[in-house]
Amino acid sequence: MSTTRVSSLFSKSKAAILVSGLLGLTAVPVWARHIEKHFKVDAHPIVTIHNPNGIITIKAWTKQEVLVMSDQTSDAIEVEADQANNRVDITTHAISDTASPADMRADYQVNVPEDADLQIHDDSGAVNVANVLGAMNVETIAAGVGMADTAGYTTVSTVNGSFQCLRCAGRIEVRSISGNIRLEDLRSSDVLAQTSTGNIVFNGQYLPNGSYRLKDYSGVVEVRFSPADSFDLSATSLKGKVNNEAKLEPSHHGFLPRVGNSLVGALNAGRARVEVTSFNGTINILKRN
Amino acid sequence: MSTINCTEFLHHIDEWIEGQEVPGARDHSRACADCRGLAEDLGTIRLAAVTLPEADPDPSPRIWTALRTQLEQEGLIRSVAPTRLPHRAGWFASIFSFVPRPALAAAYVGALVIAGVVLSGPVHMPTDQDRWRERTQRTSAELNAQLEAAEETAMASLTNFSPDLTADLRRNLSIVDNDIALCEKSVQESPESEIARDYLYNAYQQKADLLAQISERGEGR
Repeated sequence: MSTTRVSSLFSKSKAAILVSGLLGLTAVPVWARHIEKHFKVDAHPIVTIHNPNGIITIKAWTKQEVLVMSDQTSDAIEVEADQANNRVDITTHAISDTASPADMRADYQVNVPEDADLQIHDDSGAVNVANVLGAMNVETIAAGVGMADTAGYTTVSTVNGSFQCLRCAGRIEVRSISGNIRLEDLRSSDVLAQTSTGNIVFNGQYLPNGSYRLKDYSGVVEVRFSPADSFDLSATSLKGKVNNEAKLEPSHHGFLPRVGNSLVGALNAGRARVEVTSFNGTINILKRN
Repeated sequence: MSTINCTEFLHHIDEWIEGQEVPGARDHSRACADCRGLAEDLGTIRLAAVTLPEADPDPSPRIWTALRTQLEQEGLIRSVAPTRLPHRAGWFASIFSFVPRPALAAAYVGALVIAGVVLSGPVHMPTDQDRWRERTQRTSAELNAQLEAAEETAMASLTNFSPDLTADLRRNLSIVDNDIALCEKSVQESPESEIARDYLYNAYQQKADLLAQISERGEGR
């Protein structure tokens, strides 16, 4: 069940061109088409988005419906938003054989119920998600991914897009090749973050029995802690350095691996488990400012 | 007398150690010490995997099962294969649960081989470094051959991306290739190092995943 509003904003486009020309802002996209659709959904709806290029912004709201607003720059593509039972599928696809990669851009703003599950593919552009509590799977190539105040089981995969998570909870798995990973004020008990040449910053809570695994090849891994935090730490860089500001006690569980530069020990009661590994990058265990 | 060769045996090793009947596998296993050793190691890991308590809590599979169910109801898919394999879907498949893409199929067998080498350390410890080195070289060569085939397919799909994305993907492929080269060197120098083998294994996985992504996303454009 959906309602649709489609408006061709040619007059606005002309105005935008005029304003852009006057201001010299050639980077401002000129939208050829705006679509707005509403879908009534039940509890735990699933929302899927497949978009080759563009900015996707998803926010949770209190309504039991999904609102999809899209803007596209070219008439060579089509935005489809359809409902099948409790799932809403949103896709961008070419309708012309001559559609160029630049034509494939569509930006989305999507409002979803808090408990929605999301599956998002966006090759380039950006993906931003806020306040969604359902499970999320995001895959991008170059698009950066930003999340704030989310709480579901989250899996993110990028090639060179960055990932930033602010006040996120729930299990988090993020993998990238050259993207940076920044986990700020995290409240998760299970984190796996891996990148190859990107950097990793972990500055979150260490929940009792929590597991925090950070893995890098050649980037810098930075782990921030407060003196009152409680975790068992294992940090190993096979061919790089490990710098440490934590006053660690001999660990109850671990043992010192005889490879590379290793550091094993417990801070306070060692309630959480922190495992940091690098191939030839640097690991910094630093006090919070 | 063996009725299948090593490559064919490795293609079916998953079914074989699961106890399924694979024609010729028993004879080959008797005749080939290397394949027998690999099957034994993988069998031991399998057993350990099902008997050990799970370290991680079960992930919420709701999103995947719900998607699959709806897609099946709508007749959009017929297969029972999930979009993403849930935990314990299969002891070895679950290791690769985050790379279940079509282009991975070719690399899967090769990855199986390297996984046998990489993961079997604590179970099937060799008596000297030379054995590790030889085994790693052999399995790496096999895996590289599989990945080369997947790379050919992926490269054909690259033309479907924008020039910027194509450049990004090529650059990241180089990063992964460089990681593999560094890790291979490290494993050659210290073949007994578990962490070096783990990094090598992981780099291969990254490459398989990236190639699969290029093929899948390129085809969809």
